[in-house]
Parts: sequence; C-alpha cells; structure tokens
Amino acid sequence: MSAPTIPPPSAKEPGLWTAVRELPSNVWSSIFRHPLPSSDLERAQTSFTNFFLHLHPVKVHRNTLRPVYTLGLGLISLFLFLILVTTGVLLMFYYVPSTNQAYDRMLDLRGTVAFGIFLRNMHRWAAHGMVAMVFLHMCRVFFTGAYKKPREFNWILGVVLLLLTLFMSFTGYLLPWDQLAFWAITVGTSIAGYAPLVGSQIKFLLLGDTTVGQEALLRFYVLHVAVLPAILSLLVAIHFWRIRKDGGLSRPEPGTPPKSESTVVQLRIEPGKRVFGLQGFVRGPFTRIGNTPDDSVYSWPNLLMAELFVFVLTVSLILVISLAFNAPLEQPVNPMHPPNPAKAPWYFLGLQEMVSYSAFWGGIGVPTVFVLLLLAAPYIDRSPKGVGRWFARERLLANTIFLTLAILNVIFIIVGTFFRGPNWTFVSPF
Amino acid sequence: MATEVPSHDPISKPKDSMPRRSLLAWLSSVGLFGSAALAVISNLVFFKPRVTYSPSARFSIGKPDDFPAGTRIARDVERVCIVRDGNRMAAISTTCTHLGCIVAISDTGFACPCHGSHYDQDGTVTGGPAPKPLPWFKVTLAPNGEIEVDKNSQVDPGTYFTV
Repeated sequence: MSAPTIPPPSAKEPGLWTAVRELPSNVWSSIFRHPLPSSDLERAQTSFTNFFLHLHPVKVHRNTLRPVYTLGLGLISLFLFLILVTTGVLLMFYYVPSTNQAYDRMLDLRGTVAFGIFLRNMHRWAAHGMVAMVFLHMCRVFFTGAYKKPREFNWILGVVLLLLTLFMSFTGYLLPWDQLAFWAITVGTSIAGYAPLVGSQIKFLLLGDTTVGQEALLRFYVLHVAVLPAILSLLVAIHFWRIRKDGGLSRPEPGTPPKSESTVVQLRIEPGKRVFGLQGFVRGPFTRIGNTPDDSVYSWPNLLMAELFVFVLTVSLILVISLAFNAPLEQPVNPMHPPNPAKAPWYFLGLQEMVSYSAFWGGIGVPTVFVLLLLAAPYIDRSPKGVGRWFARERLLANTIFLTLAILNVIFIIVGTFFRGPNWTFVSPF
Repeated sequence: MATEVPSHDPISKPKDSMPRRSLLAWLSSVGLFGSAALAVISNLVFFKPRVTYSPSARFSIGKPDDFPAGTRIARDVERVCIVRDGNRMAAISTTCTHLGCIVAISDTGFACPCHGSHYDQDGTVTGGPAPKPLPWFKVTLAPNGEIEVDKNSQVDPGTYFTV
C-alpha cells in the first residue's frame, strides 16, 4: 500500500498542530482586532473597533482635555455611579426588604459578612459624593456657559439626572430601616402630599399604605435597585451620546493657532476616489477629521489616559474614606418616638430648613420654581457669548443669579446642619 | 422611444385613495396611542393597593373609668391623645399637620420635634410651620361599655363626648 498522493493545496492550509500552537494568539486577535496602536490610523481603529472605546470620538479637541476647564466632574460622577452599582449589587446579596429583617441585616453587614461594613461604607460615601459631584458638575457647566446652543437638551437631561440622583439617595436611605430612614420617609412623603390636586394620591402610591411600613419599604426598595438605576443608566447613555452629537464638549477657544500637524490625519479626499469609513460621513458639528490642520488629538491615548487618571483617583478616594469612616446607622425604627431633632442627610437639610418655614412653599413651591428656572435657562439665555470660559464677563448677570441661588442653598444647608437643635430651634454650634 | 410609461406617482392616483389612507393612518394612531394610554392607566391602577395592612382606624381604648378626670395621655401606637375633662372625653390627633411627625405632650399643649411646630391644649397652632390645627376624632361608647375612637371621622375641635 502506497500512501495516497494528495495534490499540494494552492493556498497553504494550516495543520492541526499549527492551529493548536497559534491558539492563544488567534483567540486574542479575534477579540482585539488591533495590536497596541503605533500609528494614527491604528489609533483611530482602536477607538472604533472596541465596544467600550467606541463611545469616544476618534479625536477630541485638545482644549476639552484641559483639567482646569472641566475639573473632570462629570467623569467623577459617572465613576461614582459605577461604584454604586457594583457595591449595590453586592449588598443586595445580603439584604432583605422586610421591616423585621432589614435592620438586623445591617448589623450582619457590620458583624458577620466579610467586607460587609466596607461595602456599605463605599456605597454610602459614593452616594454622598455623587450628589455633591453632580451638583458641582452642574455649576461647572453653568459657569462656563456650556448649556447654550446646541447643548440645550443635554442640559435638560443633566437637570433630570440631578433630580434622579437625589431621588436615588432618598429611596436608598429608607432601606436600613433605622430611625433616620423612618422619619426621613415620613417627612419626605408628607412633603409630596402637599403637592396641589394629586398630592395625597402620590403619597398613597409612594407608601402603598396610609402609613410608612412594610409596603413603603418594598416599594422604595424596588425603585432603588431596579426602576431608578435603569432610568438613570438610559439617561446617562443619552447624555454621553449627545455630547458627541452636539459637537463635543464646550471648550475654550484656541488661543494660538495650531502648531504641529503631526497629530492630524493626512487624508485627502481626491475626486473620483471612493472613500470608505467614517470620514466620508462627517458633517456639521462633528469633530472634524479632514485635510485641514486642527487642534484635535487622538482619544487613544490622550482622552483615555485622562479618564483612567480620574477613575483611579475616584476609586482610591472612596476606598480611603471607606477605610477611615463608617457609614452611620441609627437606632432601629421606633414609630412612636421621632428623634429630636429629626434631621435628613446634609444634602436635604437645605430643603428641610425651608420646609420648617412653610411645608408647601419650602417643600413644593420653591423647589419647583428652582427646577423650572434650571430647565428654562438655556431657552431664556440665548446669547452665544461667553461659552467655553469660566465666569466670562459677558455672562456676568446669569452667573450672578446662579451663584446667588447656589450660595443660598449652601447657606440653608449649613443652617440646617449646624444651627438647628431640638424642636428645630436655633442653636449655636460654638 | 416615445412609449408611454404607466405612472406610479401617487399624485396621479384617484383622488379618493388619499382620504382612505389618511383615515387608516389616523385610526392606527388612535389605536396605538390609545393602547399606550390604557397601559399607563392600568399601571397606575396596579400601583394603587386595594388592601392595606395598617391597623384599623377604629379602635377601643378601655372603660371610661380607666381615665380619671384631668387625664391627658398620649397613645403613640394609635397616634391620639386621650383627654378627660370632668366627665367629658375627647381624642386629639398627635400626628403633626405639618409633615406627619408625632407631636409630644408639652406643658403648654403639644410640640413637634421635627420642625418646631407648637400647639395649645386644644391643638390650635401657636407657633411653627404647621398649617392646620390638630384634628379631633369622634369618640363614642361601644355597647360593651368601652370607649371607641374612630380616626376616620373628625369632629370640630372642642366637641367632647360626655360619659
């Protein structure tokens, strides 16, 4: 028996041994289509062939990367939200939304669950941080005039995201079922009851009962872990998508003409030559990729390194704070005896201070007017001047109004936090 | 090459086809948005509980003799203050009309720990942000000789039940 003669294949087919030998690199290259980029073309390809990186534009304007312009506040908010989702899902494994068990589960987190107290600390401090950072992010956007045309709608999304963040934290602090939880929800839902016409119905729908109890705990739990995070994630996605569709972040005007052309794609669209790729479709307010020198740089690595820096900074700060400070847990719920004074977390103390003058005006009227003013701001202030600079002289009036309201809010928070004692009487902290 | 090409241009179609098309479009929109509205309404109905588990608003508090004249005692579970003045009895709510905290009995009447509202002995607002006086609830004598309070029916402040 002679071996059958096989004609040699025209294209060389790899044998089994070759396939086994090259398996790791084949798997790797099937996931990541490009090696670490070494040329501009590869930097562009890295951005738009990776699911996570293609959120970014291929190139961003150099000035949007200035740390003192954005202060990274939006990114910090996002990373805090990611920390909150991660730690929140982990905490769900040990939590039961039952009035009999919830508080004991908090004690279990402290006493028996591995890293339980640490996870709860991270969740609590990241939540406080997110409220603060989202508020500061809004201030940054206002003081740099970044809400103006064509970014009006993204500003509206941002205001809604701020309200959702506050509602997330409101629903979150019922869950430990301690004294703060119970009385904060009692007060909070009573405020909702002051809304005209539908107030009492809203209160009943929120509580699922006439008083704060098991039904309210279950409802706030579902809102906190499912409904609100889903809405928040969707709106965050639209918020980011709109940044690109609205022409990138607002930015300072280039002070000096672009110096080097080394970062620019040398792509000449020649007549008669077919163009493939994104470049063929780029129009209007999009980041320009063309044959004219501009001041943009590749997202890989410039933007990504900036993001990585902010991420590491945010995570390490939360880790350090969570190691140093424990999240407060008050006495278990006693529906008979409110603590005196019964104080909400710091970011609601401004509201509580206003509520102590008038429930309707402090809890419904003034906040509604304030939110409506925020929503209307980009449609009232149509002047295109002063965009891309902190405290631009042309925006003196708008900035003054916003700063006054922001400072008033901070003053109310400080008064509510430090100057209010039993029966909400004025006390001196000194 | 002058052959007539049959036109598929919608403009040259018979005139009565456009109203039919727009009517269908209109009916489909009504169906679509109507179902969406129905879905929203049915969800709201779903979220409104038909049964609640909180304790009954009507409860008995014991024999009249359990409350000697001059008694002012707060029952925090039911959130009422039982008042006996001579042979007259009344039940005053201890839920603050401001934001629902439990008011405590003070020397001058009632005081709220949450936002500093003050009421006098009859529940009339004397200070703080409370917008309304504390409501009085109906007090009756049940056939078994016990005093019954019904938080579902309010009476005018100052209306006592004579035992």
